[in-house]
Amino acid sequence: MRRRVVITGMGAITPLGHSAKELYQGQLEGRSGVGPIELFNARTFPTTFAAQVKGFDLGRYVSDTVRWTNAGANSKFAAAASQQALADAGLLDSSGVDRTRFGVYLGSGEGIQDFHHMVSLVARHYRPERRVVDSAAFARDGLHEFHPGCEAEQELHTTTAHLAAHFGLDGPNYNCLTACAASSQAIGEAAELIRHGDADLMLSGGAHSMIHPFGVTGFNLLTALSTYNQDPPRASRPFDLRRDGFVLGEGAGMLVLEELEHARRRGAEICAELTGYGSTADAFRLTDSHPDGRGAIACVRAALADSGLAPADIGYINAHGTSTQVNDKVETVAIKKVFGDGAYEVPISSSKSMLGHLIAAAGAVELITCIMALRRGVLPPTINYEVPDPECDLDYVPNSAREKRVRHVLSNSFGFGGQNVSLIVSRFQD
Amino acid sequence: MALSSRRAVLTGVGVVCPIGLDAASYWEALAGGRSGVRAIQAFDAAGLPVRIAGEVADFDAKNYIDKKERKSLRVMARTIQLAVAAAQLAIDDCGVDKQLLDPTRFGVEFGAGLIASELEEIAVAAQASVNSRPDAVDLDKWGELGIPSIPPLWMLKYLPNMLACHVSILHNAQGPNNTITETDVASLLALGEAYRILGRDQADFFLAGGGESKLNPLSLVRQCLFQPLSRRNDAPEKASRPFDRDRDGMVLGEGAGVLVLEELQHARRRGARIYAEMVGFGASFDRDRSGTGLARAVRSALNEAAIGPEEVDHVNAQGCSAVDADVWEARGLQEVFGDCSLPVPVFAAKSYFGNLGAGSGTTEAVAALLALRHGQRPSTLNYEQPDPACPVPVATGGLRPMTRRHVVKVGFTDMGQCAAVVFRKWE
Repeated sequence: MRRRVVITGMGAITPLGHSAKELYQGQLEGRSGVGPIELFNARTFPTTFAAQVKGFDLGRYVSDTVRWTNAGANSKFAAAASQQALADAGLLDSSGVDRTRFGVYLGSGEGIQDFHHMVSLVARHYRPERRVVDSAAFARDGLHEFHPGCEAEQELHTTTAHLAAHFGLDGPNYNCLTACAASSQAIGEAAELIRHGDADLMLSGGAHSMIHPFGVTGFNLLTALSTYNQDPPRASRPFDLRRDGFVLGEGAGMLVLEELEHARRRGAEICAELTGYGSTADAFRLTDSHPDGRGAIACVRAALADSGLAPADIGYINAHGTSTQVNDKVETVAIKKVFGDGAYEVPISSSKSMLGHLIAAAGAVELITCIMALRRGVLPPTINYEVPDPECDLDYVPNSAREKRVRHVLSNSFGFGGQNVSLIVSRFQD
Repeated sequence: MALSSRRAVLTGVGVVCPIGLDAASYWEALAGGRSGVRAIQAFDAAGLPVRIAGEVADFDAKNYIDKKERKSLRVMARTIQLAVAAAQLAIDDCGVDKQLLDPTRFGVEFGAGLIASELEEIAVAAQASVNSRPDAVDLDKWGELGIPSIPPLWMLKYLPNMLACHVSILHNAQGPNNTITETDVASLLALGEAYRILGRDQADFFLAGGGESKLNPLSLVRQCLFQPLSRRNDAPEKASRPFDRDRDGMVLGEGAGVLVLEELQHARRRGARIYAEMVGFGASFDRDRSGTGLARAVRSALNEAAIGPEEVDHVNAQGCSAVDADVWEARGLQEVFGDCSLPVPVFAAKSYFGNLGAGSGTTEAVAALLALRHGQRPSTLNYEQPDPACPVPVATGGLRPMTRRHVVKVGFTDMGQCAAVVFRKWE
């Protein structure tokens, strides 16, 4: 019999609030976390709004914040959400557990590039007549103008290393970055490390912020973002006919995954069991999903097979539901293919309608939402659902939360490049 | 520990690195003791304190990719092109008929790092947005005039997961697909994860690897600011000297290494040539960078392989030539291998080409696999004066016949993420 993996702690820093409870409560109320971008002047950008984390203070979560002085928002959000998750699991003082069996696996994004210095340097040393940047001059000035600490903190291994060092977690330490599927993939692979016996406990989840000039520029160039500048809270409208792109969000979601017997021995409260994980690639195109939902279908089926459940056992689907034309259509196609006629019976909603898209961190906060729904028996809605799309004709829990007791929940995450991950969480039963 | 009856073997290698554009030339350079470190040619590095690196010379990605796919090269940064090329070489080397592979059982696991934007791609936007202040951009102008001047797919060229995504698209690999981003240990962790996924029967065939190039102005400036890099600009070939007393820092390199990891029965059925079997993997965090965490990763990998340290022919080390890192690596290796009755030599491939970052783990693993195939262990360059702070027997003196059946490959990051892999000679 394989080792079972349960969730014993959760934490979240999100546009809807700074705890798993606030994240969930905000969604039940159908609140939008979206508003004008305040982190920088985006007035003339094609998209001028996002779902920002507000009023965040790392000092409320960790006593010694020096370690994170130069760190990016992603690392700071991760630290706070980790502190919450470990406290929730009763593991802030981990002296009672074998730290070498306690690892970290995140899907955390990159630190934020020093936009102003970089662009200023490029402008100063660009030679338009030759269409090249004078690299020697760029380098010479860059050495003086870039901040060494902030540059070091952009590296992709810093977030997980800080968590391991600060909280004393000496087990396997990973970060993956598979675009919008990253933290779901991290949680799936973290569970596999426990199942295989490489660890007994894993701190897992994701953290990201791309609400910075380069991030918004990049997504605007791909025409992936909504441009509903006149009414930001109504911009993220998954499955609605008038959806026009996703809304950037930021934040972190963290979970403590634990081997069942380990959790029992220390009398931990069990939030849910992680029962299914699937990962596939579309192997189709960089920006477009396979139109038939090939990779997504295989991924959901893999997660179902992993959990030993049938489609009819799934009581709720937390969709990837980005509010782009293609994603929502293809995800609907995939759900219909896997669930058959049952697709019309299963409630589906998109947390992104309220939270925006937390990119690498999206899957983790959405999984936390699923676990709260399992425990409380109320499903969060898809807000801004006004005009049905004939190609998206399933039950998207429109606009208001719904009471429904469910036992098994599916969470989907799909990323640029054709990365697909599905996770299934189940109410814990012996 | 869960037991798996499924065994994983290595059936193909691909490498594009400063000492070789394929496995054969790579091995020749290792056998001949030829360094790939030299003065930087890719751009004018005159403004930097570090002007040497392990560069991949004469690399043209078009040579590795079908004509009909070549347009995709435009959205591949150099890092991605190196990885795609190494993946193609690995596929060619393993001799598989791709038509016969089940795409849904074909996975891709890569290690990757941050990819820097080519400066010229944002240069027009930058000049349109200058301000009266030297260090602040006029964001109104950037939004209005700057953004429209940047290539639409700009961001996709630089996302770390694009190595694995391009490889999956080019080879129709629809199975599990992940990108691990733990800098210098990334590709070794990716190989370990591929090994676990094969073991649990969710794939039969993997391209596992990594690639990185930091040899561009932005990345190199950044690295100069926070990495302990060698300043031995006057003697590039002597600059990377792992465990040597006179080392003065790392040398950066660029390159990619990709392995074909395949389930044994799958490999047998198609009559594949086998380099070695992967028999153990371990990962850990070395919080104090004392070597204790590294030793733990090595012991886990040895335990899984069910062998003792005495059965290891040599260690293929991280050996990055940094003053501090070599010390704690040596302590960690000493903790595991120090009591062996015969010394277990330590080989450091970075002495040939520097630190390939996310590409280093699997590129160096190729050296381990070639050593197992040839039955000879290569020797570390520039090891002239032992450092008492690095108490390890460094492999020197040219190729030597291997006497034992296992090679341990280790890697770690400057912040403490560690991994170890055990390869067993195939007989």
